[in-house]
Amino acid sequence: MSESTSRVELAEPRAPGWPEVRVGWWRTLLWVLWAAFAAAGVIGVAQRFLYGHLPAGYGSYVPWGLWVGLYFHGVGIAGGVFVLAGLGYIFALPGFRQPAVLRVAIVLALAAILPAFLGIWLDLGRMERAATIFLSPNFTSMMAFNAWLYNGFIVVSALCWLLSFRPRSTWLKPLLCLGAFLSAIIPSQSGSFFGVVDAKAYWHSALLPVLFVTSALTAGSAVLLAVRMMMGPGPMSADEHAIAVRRLRVVTLGALVAYFFLEFAEFSVALWNPHGHDRAFDLVLFGPYWWLFWIVHVFLGGLVPLVMLLQRGWRRWMVGALLVAVTFVSVRLNVLIPGQAVGEIRGLQEAFQHPRLTYVYHATPMEYLVGFLMLATGMTIFYLGCRISERLAERIQQTS
Amino acid sequence: MSMTRREAVKAGALVGAGVAASVAAVLKDRLGPPPADPLGEETRRQLSALKHVPPKTDEDLLVRMQRELVQAMAKPVEQRRWTMVIDIRKCVGCHACTIGCIAENKLPPGVVYRPVVTEESGTFPNVRLRFLPRPCMQCDKPPCVPVCPVKATWKRPDGVVVVNYDKCIGCRYCLTACPYGARTSDFGEYYTDSAAQGAPAGPERPALGSRAPWEEQPSHEYAKSWDRARHGSPVGNARKCHFCLHRLEVGQLPMCVTTCIGRATYFGDPNDPRALVTELIARHNVQVLLPHKNTEPRVFYIV
Repeated sequence: MSESTSRVELAEPRAPGWPEVRVGWWRTLLWVLWAAFAAAGVIGVAQRFLYGHLPAGYGSYVPWGLWVGLYFHGVGIAGGVFVLAGLGYIFALPGFRQPAVLRVAIVLALAAILPAFLGIWLDLGRMERAATIFLSPNFTSMMAFNAWLYNGFIVVSALCWLLSFRPRSTWLKPLLCLGAFLSAIIPSQSGSFFGVVDAKAYWHSALLPVLFVTSALTAGSAVLLAVRMMMGPGPMSADEHAIAVRRLRVVTLGALVAYFFLEFAEFSVALWNPHGHDRAFDLVLFGPYWWLFWIVHVFLGGLVPLVMLLQRGWRRWMVGALLVAVTFVSVRLNVLIPGQAVGEIRGLQEAFQHPRLTYVYHATPMEYLVGFLMLATGMTIFYLGCRISERLAERIQQTS
Repeated sequence: MSMTRREAVKAGALVGAGVAASVAAVLKDRLGPPPADPLGEETRRQLSALKHVPPKTDEDLLVRMQRELVQAMAKPVEQRRWTMVIDIRKCVGCHACTIGCIAENKLPPGVVYRPVVTEESGTFPNVRLRFLPRPCMQCDKPPCVPVCPVKATWKRPDGVVVVNYDKCIGCRYCLTACPYGARTSDFGEYYTDSAAQGAPAGPERPALGSRAPWEEQPSHEYAKSWDRARHGSPVGNARKCHFCLHRLEVGQLPMCVTTCIGRATYFGDPNDPRALVTELIARHNVQVLLPHKNTEPRVFYIV
């Protein structure tokens, strides 16, 4: 068992044509970022508990904001990471067949989904009643259906993590199959979460669940690629590591292209509709947040990573993967906010005026601070999860 | 593929069991009964309103509607079907219904049950204004009900869509699901919380904060007492028009009907063939809002 699974280093796999480079400042940067996110997040969550929802920018006509967008991004990454690592383990693909590598991916998936739940919990109007969704669920609601699926996924992930220490267990691969199934279902049902809302024409599309699955795969493969490159070969040979990295790069590229293809299909159906289209599309493309679509999503999240991933050089792949992982949150936000920002009844906003009764939404500083807390929580879970995995593996090896 | 046959069978069993459990759970709630409301004899109300006012043929519409209300409340709840009709030819846009509702239900800032939408049409000099009060439509196919993850909202036997403030978790899914924007969330604001800011210290400056005592008085929606002051419900909950159920229980018309200066809002039970609303909704110039959403609203507009 190599120690490098717990070292966050930018190590290049030792393969022909791949010079080894160690960038020591990367770990320092991550620690600094974590400390900054955590400090900011503590302030944000303190505001949340002291003042309730009052410092937030969402309201009754745009009820969901930044935290819900981050939530869907987190669950998407979790699904994408798990399905790739799980299938790689099941099919014993080079670079994915080691239990230690599987554990890292499971911890990464949990580090993505658990902070997402934190954000949703803080978003509730009655946080103390969150358990009601498990005690008295209504499965006609996509929210209840998804909550149970996500928690089922967490349980399955935890079981897989435990069984990974006993790779000969005949339950590990079946559970990985179940987890992979859930990983595919969850993002699609996240899309259905919006798609079933007939009140919002922008959301009411059969393509939305497919878009969510594809964006989950894109973001998940990008995150997994970036993390695998950061953590180096670990318990496998440099050749295997290089194969895994190349495969993840191909998956990321393919998923990225597929996503933009599907997105173009979605937009073209609307924009070429002779009977007009929902105003939300205009908001996305030409509204006050046009830059989020064109610059963050299309340019930084599409064109730049595409160019980088098509080129040679691991550094470019790292940058491309990180760009996709970060900027794909704009995909979620560009579904979430414009869908709410258009009302069916014109003039309703002017009928009774209040800051929370408008179709305009801007995230407030408190919301951003809590978003940083979600990031810091994810980083903490990943770090501690890797540490615990390593210690447990060492202990099992010593006692066996 | 490096899975043994046994592992493949187990995988299939796990996935199959998961799918079966999911289908069963969804079917249970799709086909199951709604939350149990009291029905039958215990829901009859023998109300004394207008007991000593003899009926007249030319009596005021409000009196007639109140008399019909009393008659409807004498029936079991499942035999009533509350309906509202709004004559937008008569509405003058005074917003008395909006304010009356806020006063009756002690609505805080950011919560409104019955805004009045102003529609402007035409170009100068042929400009026209039309006013559209928009209460909750109490839809027969309410899109807000199935999306609630905890069954905190449902359609009563008498047609009113209600919210259980003790159960609602405040996820706000129902707010997005309503095409009419009829639901709002109570974020815990108070009108007077920021009053007198910057006022010089002195005897006139509130000693214990600026919040006025009257704002902390409980509301009585759903015939229960709700104390917001200690961050109790309905703070954090979804809130909506409920046709003033607490007033109906004592034989009073909804506040918006009572306070309308133009007699533009009508209310009653169309299961009574002689009721005023029954006559009105049979007219040819009656419409509903957003009919293409197929929500089957119980609020009709005379245009």
